[in-house]
Amino acid sequence: MEPLYIEPSEFTPRVFFDPENSVFEISGFSRPENAVGFYKPLIKWLEDYEEQILAKNINFNKSNLTFNLKLTYFNSATSKFLLDILLLFMKFHSKGNTIEINWYYDEDDDEIFESGEEISEMINFPFNFIPITPNV
Amino acid sequence: MEKGEVLINHYGPLSYEEIGFLLNKMTSLLERYNFGITIRKKVYAAMVESLENIYKHQDVIKGSNNYQPKFSLVLENNAVDLTCSNSLLKIKTKRLKERLEKVNQLDKAGLREFYKEVILGENVTQKGGAGLGIINIAKVTENKLEFTFDDIDEQYAYFTLRIKVSLQNLNN
Repeated sequence: MEPLYIEPSEFTPRVFFDPENSVFEISGFSRPENAVGFYKPLIKWLEDYEEQILAKNINFNKSNLTFNLKLTYFNSATSKFLLDILLLFMKFHSKGNTIEINWYYDEDDDEIFESGEEISEMINFPFNFIPITPNV
Repeated sequence: MEKGEVLINHYGPLSYEEIGFLLNKMTSLLERYNFGITIRKKVYAAMVESLENIYKHQDVIKGSNNYQPKFSLVLENNAVDLTCSNSLLKIKTKRLKERLEKVNQLDKAGLREFYKEVILGENVTQKGGAGLGIINIAKVTENKLEFTFDDIDEQYAYFTLRIKVSLQNLNN
């Protein structure tokens, strides 16, 4: 399966879903004009990934998936889609795959940190909170 | 009360690019005033949600140049005040008023719960609205939202939302 790479723009984040290494990453700033148009293809890609890769793994040892979220800002429409994406990872987890979710945040940025805490609580799954050095 | 310093004043149609321009202007102005990241992010979030609400939900009055979108950012002694207005079909005002009144009744924990309830329950509309903007503004600013609906004609109202981001204890 081909990786999914989306270049960042002024309003949208960088996306890199790498099926070969089982690493998935969304980073930067997210305020898309058309949140549905930007995020639906990511969800579709992950659904295809489940069908084409995860469901075909019949080994005893399932996959170890890493999801890195390195967001500096996201609007409320984005938060709805982040939740939908995370719920898909929870579905992968319920099927025996190991999931690690890393939530990176600027150590001075309480808003992003608290958003991560809230989302983690919502999906009832612990995140690794990783502070990064501020550059603002 | 001493009148505050008007940092941004916008009146006229609001494109997505214009929203980006106003946000960049706000960021550089608040940086010039040496506001820390917490204040800047709170103002940023409130400004994004309120301007995107106008962009997504305003009802433009056909054939009229009056009652266009309006936005101002004013620096007061103890707060940054954001005021935004847009025309709206009156049939939409009841639901909006109910949501505003509900968020004003909730404390921080209540807003978190309500946010959770809406994000898990409501779908994102084709316009990109997730029904979360108003809750997010209240959650981030931790202040009550002031609002008015002024009559334009039988069909339309002019909705104004006033948001306060307090500076006390947050000047970092």
